[in-house]
Amino acid sequence: MTDPDVASPRRARLELLVRRQEDDGFEVREIGSATAFVQSRPQRVEAGSFELATVPSRLAGQHRYILKNTTTDRFLLLSEPEKFLWEQMDGHHSLQDIATAYVLRYGQFDFDIIPALMAKLQRAQLLTLTPTSRLRRALARNRRRRLVKALEHAVMGLERVNVSSRSVHGIFSWLYRWGGFLLFTRAALAGCVALAVLGAIAGASLWDRADVVVSGFAVSPVAGFVSVKLLFFLTVGLHQAVHALALVHYRRRVREFGFTFLHGFVPTFYVDVTDIFMASRRARVVTAVSGALVHLVLGALWFLVAVAAPTGSFVQAFAAASGLIQWQALVIALYPFCFIEMDGYHVLVDVLGVPTLKSDALAFTGALLRGRARPALGRMEALWLGYVVLSTVSIAAFVALNAWLIVHATS
Amino acid sequence: MSTPADTERFLRDVRLFREFTAPDLAALAHSLRARSLRRGQVLFREGDPGEEMFLVRDGVVVVSKAVTGRVEQVLARVAAGDFFGEMSLFDRSPRSATVQAETDAALLVLDRVALRTLTRENPRAAAAFFEALVHVFIERLRASGDLVAEVTRWGLEATGLDVDAR
Repeated sequence: MTDPDVASPRRARLELLVRRQEDDGFEVREIGSATAFVQSRPQRVEAGSFELATVPSRLAGQHRYILKNTTTDRFLLLSEPEKFLWEQMDGHHSLQDIATAYVLRYGQFDFDIIPALMAKLQRAQLLTLTPTSRLRRALARNRRRRLVKALEHAVMGLERVNVSSRSVHGIFSWLYRWGGFLLFTRAALAGCVALAVLGAIAGASLWDRADVVVSGFAVSPVAGFVSVKLLFFLTVGLHQAVHALALVHYRRRVREFGFTFLHGFVPTFYVDVTDIFMASRRARVVTAVSGALVHLVLGALWFLVAVAAPTGSFVQAFAAASGLIQWQALVIALYPFCFIEMDGYHVLVDVLGVPTLKSDALAFTGALLRGRARPALGRMEALWLGYVVLSTVSIAAFVALNAWLIVHATS
Repeated sequence: MSTPADTERFLRDVRLFREFTAPDLAALAHSLRARSLRRGQVLFREGDPGEEMFLVRDGVVVVSKAVTGRVEQVLARVAAGDFFGEMSLFDRSPRSATVQAETDAALLVLDRVALRTLTRENPRAAAAFFEALVHVFIERLRASGDLVAEVTRWGLEATGLDVDAR
């Protein structure tokens, strides 16, 4: 088997010098072409600038479409998959989103179809590319405000923080051979279930005497809270590592593993699992869920430690809080209705076959609130509204629960 | 503060002056001016008039060319022992790129008067200097070609443009 890293040429990188607005200083940024490509958001021309018509065909199921640029009078013949991709190119979805949508719709991925279509559309002047994120664009629009400007600088600075490696597949293959494979056995599944039950029992017993348990933090509640959060953060790396092992388990390639600031402000570890799209749906679901189960196991273990620790001690409070935060992470990772595209969300959109659920739901609800969408509900509209309502209620409940826990622990 | 002897020692390792004898280097050291830059400081901007070339004695400077707005493309980094700015020295045209210090930097300035003196008073050393300069120009020309190819490749990869299909 050919190693893709060896076979393919090195990706081009461009060094840009960007001057700061407020002084004479500058920063040099290195931008890889691959990053620019997958993060670009192709935007088709405005609705009035093109026409789309179906070409009648004598062959059943063989649809073709004619796309016309009404400004330049250029015509393009599109296949059904190309028309699908064209509809995704709304300036909101990145190429990564679009590729995901394509896989979920057609169950396969042709690595050439998107670049080929984009080239065709660009030649016909039907497409523009917007490479920056929506958050960054929103910040740029309001740059005159000092606070927004400071926030923009902070986000830009954090966005550039990326410690990663593209040569990690060998490491994870080695880890898999030397014990990682055990995580994907029936025994491991049974162990997870047993730990979940034991953890739940331990958690329930701790809940009954919550006042005494949290009193262990009474001496230094802030230090306790911060140390619990920091320790939890490290386990996020473990979560991603298990995703990577799942890839190896299904004989797919781990393309990258690293640390970055998600959306420019959420510190997180990440693993590139895109190769799992080439595997079965079962493989995709297992890969998504297995990482989250790290939190189930750790949470249960922490609860057991808390039960065994001296009542009212710092250790007990620390272990109980760590267990709680791990199980919260499990819920957040697997619960799809929270506006965050975590593992559960990916499983949901995979099962529903609606890869752009969140962005479509937010766009529809926004239009509905501004009176620009029809209140009549079809299946998709109901799904979008259901997603937004459930997510809003869930987040409110989650915030309320945490506020209550913090107040309860510190009072 | 460096002495002329320090400067002479530094010049001995600069490839442009490798064929210079000790008296040649001593004479040259006296005709060069020292200049220092703080990190981030701009030495000159694209379009500025210029009549000097610079040798980097310490630190690193970045040569960049305006692309759009506040964004410029990095053309080269010049580190200790290397030089830049020679184009305006010879053809009297405005600066073709902007140069700024990436770190605190110490430079030596060779102006037109010093170059004329070198050519007039020491033709043998001047010939060695120009020959070395030509070799560096050839290397830089090759590097420019590589940079153009790299930037073109970047553009093709970043936009997904399929040239074969055209």
